[in-house]
Amino acid sequence: MKSLRRLIYPYIVWLTVLIIIPFLFIVLATISTFHIFNSYTFRFTFDSLRFLTDPIFLNAFKNSIKFAGITTLVCLTVGYPVAYFFANIKSKNKTLYVALLIVPIWSNMIVRIIAWENVFKPVSILNLFNLSFDMIGSDIAIIIAMVSMYLPFMIFPIYAVLDKMDHRYIEASRDLGANAFQSFYKVTLPLSLGGIVSGIIMTLLPAMTAFALPERIGGGTTILLGNLIEKEIFRGSFSTAATVSFVVMIVMLGLFMLIVRFDKEGETLL
Amino acid sequence: MKKNLYGSTLQVFLTIFTFTIVYLPILVIILISIHGSQYNYDSFKLTFRWYQEIINDQQLVDAIIVTFQIAVLATTISTILGTAFAIGIHSLNKKNRVRMMVLNNVPVVNPDIVTGIMLFIIFRFFRMTFGFPTMLLAHIFFALPFVILSVLPKLKQLDPNLFDAALDLGATKFQAIVRVIIPSIKVGMIAGALIAFTMSIDDFIISYFMKQGEFHNVSTLIYSRLAKRQISPSVFAYNSLVVVLTMGLMILFNRSNQTQKKVRG
Repeated sequence: MKSLRRLIYPYIVWLTVLIIIPFLFIVLATISTFHIFNSYTFRFTFDSLRFLTDPIFLNAFKNSIKFAGITTLVCLTVGYPVAYFFANIKSKNKTLYVALLIVPIWSNMIVRIIAWENVFKPVSILNLFNLSFDMIGSDIAIIIAMVSMYLPFMIFPIYAVLDKMDHRYIEASRDLGANAFQSFYKVTLPLSLGGIVSGIIMTLLPAMTAFALPERIGGGTTILLGNLIEKEIFRGSFSTAATVSFVVMIVMLGLFMLIVRFDKEGETLL
Repeated sequence: MKKNLYGSTLQVFLTIFTFTIVYLPILVIILISIHGSQYNYDSFKLTFRWYQEIINDQQLVDAIIVTFQIAVLATTISTILGTAFAIGIHSLNKKNRVRMMVLNNVPVVNPDIVTGIMLFIIFRFFRMTFGFPTMLLAHIFFALPFVILSVLPKLKQLDPNLFDAALDLGATKFQAIVRVIIPSIKVGMIAGALIAFTMSIDDFIISYFMKQGEFHNVSTLIYSRLAKRQISPSVFAYNSLVVVLTMGLMILFNRSNQTQKKVRG
């Protein structure tokens, strides 16, 4: 099949133009006067890096870490046992149960965000049940909405590894005298690490860079890195947007290295 | 093996929690879509008015058409190209294959907003007109890696000699791919196409960076209306239709799968 190698050349060109070049542009915009919108005289400058000490940036960074961190932690604590439960169910409808978690993703994300906004507003459809919340702008509201959006993305990769796992390993460990906890801790958990890492990435990164959700549920006062990037790019301040994107990309690449360690070809990413 | 009752109760509880928190917004959406009043929540009035109003909302209808056109085109193109690229990647040696897959997985892991910015930059750089073509390109861009990821494992299960055997028996390379490889990796292609379609239909962030004036898909239209505070429940009605249809299809699919298994087994 070696002769089929030529099929990847167009893909290499495609990835170079759409990933590598824009990535270099972002790096360049961070460390120089490079600008895609207007003409400029090129020189290296670290002016835009100074934005990284700006209270606006620091606040957004802190918020992103806080909300994404808590959300990821909740998703992992809830998602792992649920994935474990699904993987060990003995039912012919097993795949249907997992598939039922995909259905909400088919519902438009923005509409789901508005639905949560409705739930947290004092005057809402919930009044029909004599319920009323006033939680817009609170941290807990943002976290609940984020968990609701990203929990399935934690469950899928963990379920995928647990479902594929060879049960004879666990039986062997039990035969060799491990108790239930030991065989989980020493066998199941290490074998599902790849799924856990993928799940963490699939929740942490989108949560860190979400912008519609914090804007609606946060009542416009909670700024995350995503909100910052969106505001800056449409305000035309390309270098600031690039600098913030650069920070996000560094976090992404760090996490990406972790994935590559566990799973070279990214098979747990689906 | 002794059952760990405490552990399984916790698992059931967390599973119920998961379905509750994930489905709560869906129930709220459906409820708003069948409630008679947009502002009055004193008592429930059943109505299907908002469902009829979908067709009167020309902007929404246009956005729905754009969303489906893009989804169908992006799915078709990325499935065909992704399969070809996956076959190419599969034919590499281990080292280069890992390299290609690392590059392939960057868009998968990359947060949508950064992908949006990257595409925005490059399309601006090439002085492209934003709108349908850029949105389509963007959707192909983020769907392709998923197709490749779902086709590649199926290629690995394939007997490498089959392709050579087809060539020896006189097939051209193209014939060998279409008649020998594709039928064996069909499942992976369908899975990839489904993921591509789902992601395309639901995408907001990347499409948001491809917007131009009044050109909208459903997500960006709703978001722009949010800013102007003009959300009509017909948006919720449309969304409920999509969810109910998907769920119905899924249950139907599960049923037919089981009958097939029964017939075969």
